[in-house]
Parts: sequence; C-alpha cells; structure tokens
Amino acid sequence: MRRISVVFAWAMGIALGLAAAHAGAQASQGAAEVKPKPKAAALPTGGTFTVTPALLQKLKSSDEAQIRAALDDLRLAGKSAQAAAPAIGDLLERGTTTALAEAALDTLGDMEAEVASERMAVYVHHRDVALRRAAVKALIRTKGPAAAKALRRALGDADPMVRGVAATGLGTLKVKDAVPELFMALENKIAEAAAAIGQLCTGTDCDQLAAKLGRLPFDVVTGGLDQILFRPTAEVSDDEKVKVIGKLRELGTQESNKFLKDVQTRWPKGGSARVRQSIDQAVLATAGGAQ
Amino acid sequence: MSRPFAAASFVSLVSLASLALFAASCGGGTTSIHVFSTDWSDDRGVSMENVRTRLGGAKPTPGADVVVGVAGNADKLVGLPLTGGNKWTFAHPLDSRPLVAGAVVVGSGGGELFALDALHGTKLWARPTGGLAVHGAGDDGGVTVITLSGAGGHGSVLLAITHDGAVVRQIETDKLLGAPAVVSRIAFVPWANQYVSALDLSNGDEAGRVVLREKTSRAWTEGNSLYFGEVGIFRFDAHIKDASRNLATHVALPVRELPGAPVLMQAGGERLAPVAGATDRIRLYARPSSGDPLGIEDDRFFATYFRIVMGFEAKKGNLAWVHLHDNDVVGGDAAKGALVLCDELGKVTVLDAASGGVSATLDLGEPIKACMVQAEAFAPTSGPRTGSLAAQIAKSLESNEAQLATGNQFLLRELATLDDEAATKTLVDLAESPRAAPPLVAAARDTLASRRNGARFMVESLQKHYDFLHGQLRTPPVGPMAQALAAMNEKTAAPALADHLIDPADSEEDVKQAAAALVVLGGPGQVPQAKSFFAMYRASADGDDMTAALVSAGQVLLKYGSKDGRAIVDAALGDPLTVAAAKERLEVTLQQVELEQGGAAKPEPKGDTKPAPKPKPEPKK
Repeated sequence: MRRISVVFAWAMGIALGLAAAHAGAQASQGAAEVKPKPKAAALPTGGTFTVTPALLQKLKSSDEAQIRAALDDLRLAGKSAQAAAPAIGDLLERGTTTALAEAALDTLGDMEAEVASERMAVYVHHRDVALRRAAVKALIRTKGPAAAKALRRALGDADPMVRGVAATGLGTLKVKDAVPELFMALENKIAEAAAAIGQLCTGTDCDQLAAKLGRLPFDVVTGGLDQILFRPTAEVSDDEKVKVIGKLRELGTQESNKFLKDVQTRWPKGGSARVRQSIDQAVLATAGGAQ
Repeated sequence: MSRPFAAASFVSLVSLASLALFAASCGGGTTSIHVFSTDWSDDRGVSMENVRTRLGGAKPTPGADVVVGVAGNADKLVGLPLTGGNKWTFAHPLDSRPLVAGAVVVGSGGGELFALDALHGTKLWARPTGGLAVHGAGDDGGVTVITLSGAGGHGSVLLAITHDGAVVRQIETDKLLGAPAVVSRIAFVPWANQYVSALDLSNGDEAGRVVLREKTSRAWTEGNSLYFGEVGIFRFDAHIKDASRNLATHVALPVRELPGAPVLMQAGGERLAPVAGATDRIRLYARPSSGDPLGIEDDRFFATYFRIVMGFEAKKGNLAWVHLHDNDVVGGDAAKGALVLCDELGKVTVLDAASGGVSATLDLGEPIKACMVQAEAFAPTSGPRTGSLAAQIAKSLESNEAQLATGNQFLLRELATLDDEAATKTLVDLAESPRAAPPLVAAARDTLASRRNGARFMVESLQKHYDFLHGQLRTPPVGPMAQALAAMNEKTAAPALADHLIDPADSEEDVKQAAAALVVLGGPGQVPQAKSFFAMYRASADGDDMTAALVSAGQVLLKYGSKDGRAIVDAALGDPLTVAAAKERLEVTLQQVELEQGGAAKPEPKGDTKPAPKPKPEPKK
C-alpha cells in the first residue's frame, strides 16, 4: 500500500516533470515555446532583421497594442533581433502589464539574448505563477550567470512546474555547481533533477545517482542514467558507464531489461564497443527478470 | 424526630423496599419529619449559632492524606498514602465514583455500599444499597454520613454509619441533598442549593439551619475547619449566623477566562461516574486558607486542561506558571503549598504551588480510570521552578496537540501579555511553525503585531523565506513583524523586509505590511527591491493589499531613491498602463512630498543614510 502511494506521488511528479522537461527540451533545442509564435506579418525579407528606431519607439510607448506589435515582430525574428534585447529589458525594468511582461520574456527567450538575463531574472520572483514559469523557461535559453543563479533559486519555488523547469534548465545550462542542489531536489520529488544530474555528474555523483536505483522510481532514475550513458567519453568514462550498466543489471527486473534493450537499440554505431558489450550482456542477464 | 420507616408520602414502594435493605441490618432510627422542611423561616442564624456554640471548640479531625484510583475495568481500587505507607488494592465492582471522606473511602457497586480504611484499604463495612447511587460523604473519624439518590432518582437518602458498620441514622427526603460533612456527630447537609442543615445524629433532629446567598451543594472539612459551598467557599465560623444577610465569611476565586470553563466543585447532589470524564480533566483546584481574612492557600488556585496544568494568583487571577504534564490529569487536590495530581497512567505528581515545579512523584502502579486525592495535612517540600513563564507556555504551545488547542489558545493570549523577549520569540516560532495548528498560528500572528520587544528574533525570522528545496514550507509572519518592527523603529530590519517585498510566497497582506514598514525603516539600500517591486506590479497590481504595497514602494522610491526614484514614480504617473487606484494615491503622496520639501520636489542626495523622518498620515480624501 505504501509503495503504491509512493509510486503515485512520484508519478504525479513525473507527469508534471515531463511537461516541464518537454518545455525545457524544446528550449534547449531552440524550438518554439509552447505558445504559438505570432504570424510573420512584419518579418523583413532577406533573412536578416533590422531593429529600427521605430520599433524601439514602439517598445517605449505607453500603448499596449504598439508594444505588443513590436514584441510580436521581434519574437518572429528570433536571434537575429538580439539588438532589441536591451530595449525589451528596459520594458521589463520599468514594468508593464502581466500579458506584455510574459510576451517580453517569451521574446527574449526566443532571441536567446543573454544580455537580458539579469533583468528577466527578477521575474522569477513575480507573484503571478505564469510569469515565473515564463521567466524560467526563457532564462534557459538566454543563459548566463544571472540565468543560472535564478534557476538555482527557482528550485525552491512553490510551483512544481517552476521547480521542474529550473532543474531541467540547470542541466541544460551545464551548471555543474548545482549538482548537490539537484540531488536535494531529487530527494524532494523533483523528478526532472535526475536527468539534469545525468547531464552534469562526474565520478561519485554519477555513482550516487545510480545508487538511487531501487530507492527511487525506476523511470525517474533512468532518466538520469540514460543521460550518463550517452554522454561523450571525454565527460563520462567507459568505466563509469559500465558501472552504471552493472547497477541496472544487478537490478535484474523486467523494467531494467526493457530500459537496457532500449539503450541497446539506440547505442551509436561508432560508440564504445566495450560499453556496447556490457549492454548486450546486461540485456541477456536481465531477460526474464522479476517484475 | 425519628421513627423506623415512618416514610413520608413521597417514598415509593420501591424506595421502601430499598431502604428495608439498610434497615434489615441495622438498629438505628430513621427520621423524616420537619427535617429539610421548606416551611422554615430564616431565624437570622440563631439556630446555627446554637449549633456552633454547642460544638464549642471542637475541630474537625484531619482526614487521611491519600490518593485513591479507580483501576482495572472500574472494578478495582488502588490506594496510596501520600505521607508514606504501602499501596493497597481492593477489588469490587463500582457503579459510581468512590469518595474519600476523612479516614474512609466510600464506594458503591455490585448492589452494595462499602467503606474502606483510607490508609490501608481494609474493609470497614458493607451494606446493600438497593440500587441507590452515592452522591457525597463526610466523616468525622467515627461516623460516616453518606447521601444517596432516592429511589427512581427522586429525593435523597442520608445514612450515618459508624466505622464498625452500625447505622446511626437513616433519613429519606424528597429534597435533593448535597455532599455532607460531619463534625462531632453533627452532620452538616447542604440541600436545595441554598440551605445547610445541621442534623444531630444522636436524635435525627435538625438542630440548625442557614440559608446561603450563593449556590451551595457541598460541605467539607479541611485543615480543622468546616466549609460549605460549590461556586465559592463559606467558612463555618462566628459569621455563619449572618449568612442569610450575605455576611458569612466567604472567599471565591477571581472571575476570569479559562479554557474549557472549569469549575471548582461539581454539584454535590450528583452521582459521578466511576470513570473520569472531561469535567475531571478540565477543572479547578483551590484550598481555603486558615486564619483571617479567609483567603486561598498560598494565594494560588489551579486549573487543569487535559495535560496542561496552570497555577494562578488567587487574588489577582494572573497566570503564575504552567506545567505540561505527560498525560491527562484525571484528579487531584490542593494541598498546603502544593497541588497533588494524578494522571491516567496512575502517576501521582506533586507540584509546588508557588513555582509549578515538581517536588515529588509517586506511582499507583497501573493505569487508572479516575482518581480521588485528599491532602489535608500533607505539606511537601517546595519544587524548583523550571524556566520562565514564557518558556513554560512555549513548551505547551509546542505540543501541537489538537486536544490542547483551546488550552493553548488561552496560553497564547497569556503569552501576549508578558513583557518578555522570550514571549516574542515563542510567538515568532509558533507563527512560522509548519506543525502548529492553524488557529494558533493565526492567533500568534495577530499577537505579534503588537509586540514591542524581541526585535532581534523578528529580524532573524525575516531572514527565512519559503524554500521548497530546504523544507521551509511556511513563510515567516512577515506582516505582523513588519508592523511591530516599524513601531519599534527597528531599522536593522529594513534589508530583510525589502527581500520579502519580492518574495512571491508571502501573502499579499504580508507584502503590504512589509512595504509600509519600509517607508519608515528603509533607506537607499532598499531602493533596488522597491524598484523591482514597483516595476513588476505598477501595471498589474490587483486588489487593495497589492495596491497599497505599490503605493508604499513608490513612497520608498520618492523618499530614498533620489532623482532616479522620483523619475520612476513620475514616469509611472504619466503611463496609462499604471494601475489607476495606485496612481491616484501616488499623486497624493507626491503632492505631500512636494509640500514637505517647500513646494518643489527636492530628492535626497544619493548616499544619504540619515534616518528618515516618520511619515505623516495621509490627508483624508
């Protein structure tokens, strides 16, 4: 009964986490945000975007519609409109409506404008949870020390989605110093922290994550182990990967077999033969494992 | 006048049959005429004064100092002398609460009434009851007088039985008799909640009577004196003759709020169940003092609320100490310089009356269902005080038991009256405790706002913020502390308050108070947070609290933000996106600032760290 309730709680965490991780993954790939981008009515031709004084003037105006229009144009332009990032930062700094602030954060995220990270970071403290979520998502894309600092702080947020996205973001931004906090987050049912740890860990940290097998829900831990296995050898040695596979093999369950099989199918052709061999043996050893 | 079974018309056949059971084994006379009659006219104390004269200097014999517990399945008595001696047990079914009177324990059950030697548990006598329930008992060392319910629950029966089992007197009446006392073979019997009749047990006559001007259903002896009462305490002395004119010697406990509305004495005309109930766990204890004027021994009365035990100053009613007991208290008695309590596990604890410190512990050796304590001459050594009153209250508040919630709310209100930094710390701890009951947290928050000491504890608490990762799941009581700190002009609190301005986990009310406090306590160092807050909410503040907070943040910018601060506010006032309600109030504030600065806004120079003048109240619109 206890196990059921624990699994349920984790499942809830995973459900929230997957949503956040999805958003985070999109962010890390430079893909569009969850919300659709505005139509490309004002997109200049020629593939480059010029931030005109008129556009900047619109951002400075007191007219909600004008600001909105300018943000839409800039968001469509994405990275190529980075020159407008300070002006959008100014907009956030002097304050605006909730809807415009959210649009500004989304736009800066799409621009991947690190220059605005510090001004965006303030919005991680906003009382409106939608703005906090928008801020952490955007900060993953704008990067920089201010973003890393804000994401670390957001791990303690009251909103599960903010916490989940922050954990994902710390992995994405390679904030290695945050590994202890991510372990704390993992213990506090922030499932996304496992994948982030998998992206950042070295040596004993990776062992510590693998040791969570059997103590934390399998899907949560393997979210991080999967990251470890597919990281370049320069970051995680073959020995470490073989050790992780050994832990999965020791588990000897059907779900570990299923996971190992999945890794087996995805293992790159040019990947380490030694690790490959270890995976093959583990798949065989765990076939017909306990449920 | 006595006559055997010359029953008055009210006595039913059933009761006759019942009483016959007593009579079958006794040779005493019975009385029912004129005694307890209601055609009596107030004799202005003459008859009772005669009784007093007749008693001369006779003093009540001190009773046994003993603790008696109902154990087992309410089928066993366990006794333990308080002043040393062996524990005793006596197995007998019980259908009502046994009574300790003088040197005996009177019990009933299994169809019989019985008496035991209180110090040794040896059976003195037993009589069939015919199913009548015991109300009260008194004993003078030779004769025990017992009141029982009448047959069918109507009226009462009074029995006087010597320690060797001889029935001296048996009186049946349609009146409700209270708990009696006996002195030198004169029984003092309260009845009809206002009279005390003195019955001469040698002939059954009512030798005297007084009418008392306060509900009275009990008579008892204590410390060589005889007392009557229920709500308050009347002493039987030279002034008892003036009782009908309300001039009898009297003492009462101060009227004050207490958790669970405990009473000092339960009505003497009621049967108590053998198992203790809520009224046994929530009750008062006090002992009349000897000498004149009549007072309360040690200037202490005591109240229990389950396992909370409180000592109060008897004259003023102030709380003096709190003892959080390990288990529910189910019985006790006020002794000389002490309170003797027994708990449901059978532990007997002696608390020092002055300090509440534990001066002795005894053990009945098994869990008990109810407990009776008689501590007449028992005077233990004093016990050491454990901590300040604030610390004692804190210990109880930390218990976080649902059953103690009402008691703890009472203690919290008491805590608020203490001019002690430790009290402030307890309130802060309680208000931020995730384990504390919500009503207690709310009460602690309310109380904190009016504290005027313990600023360092408040500033320390303000360093905390909601933090899911580190398990800090309750925000500190920012709002009330901000109010208190502003009132104390505690400028060291400004940085922490500023950080709370932008903490999304704080309530809007808390943010409002933090912002208001910053107007008083802030300085240039708090301008960055005020700026961030102003920017985040100037176009989105919703509701009165957030609007008020926004205006306060604007005031901080105007007051401490130099030219930049003024420019931010000016820009906001000129921006149609700024929340209208805030804009209106900011304009008023700005005008006020301009007036203060001689008609033109003169922002303070940067880096000015001089304490800011106290803000003047806003002009009425």
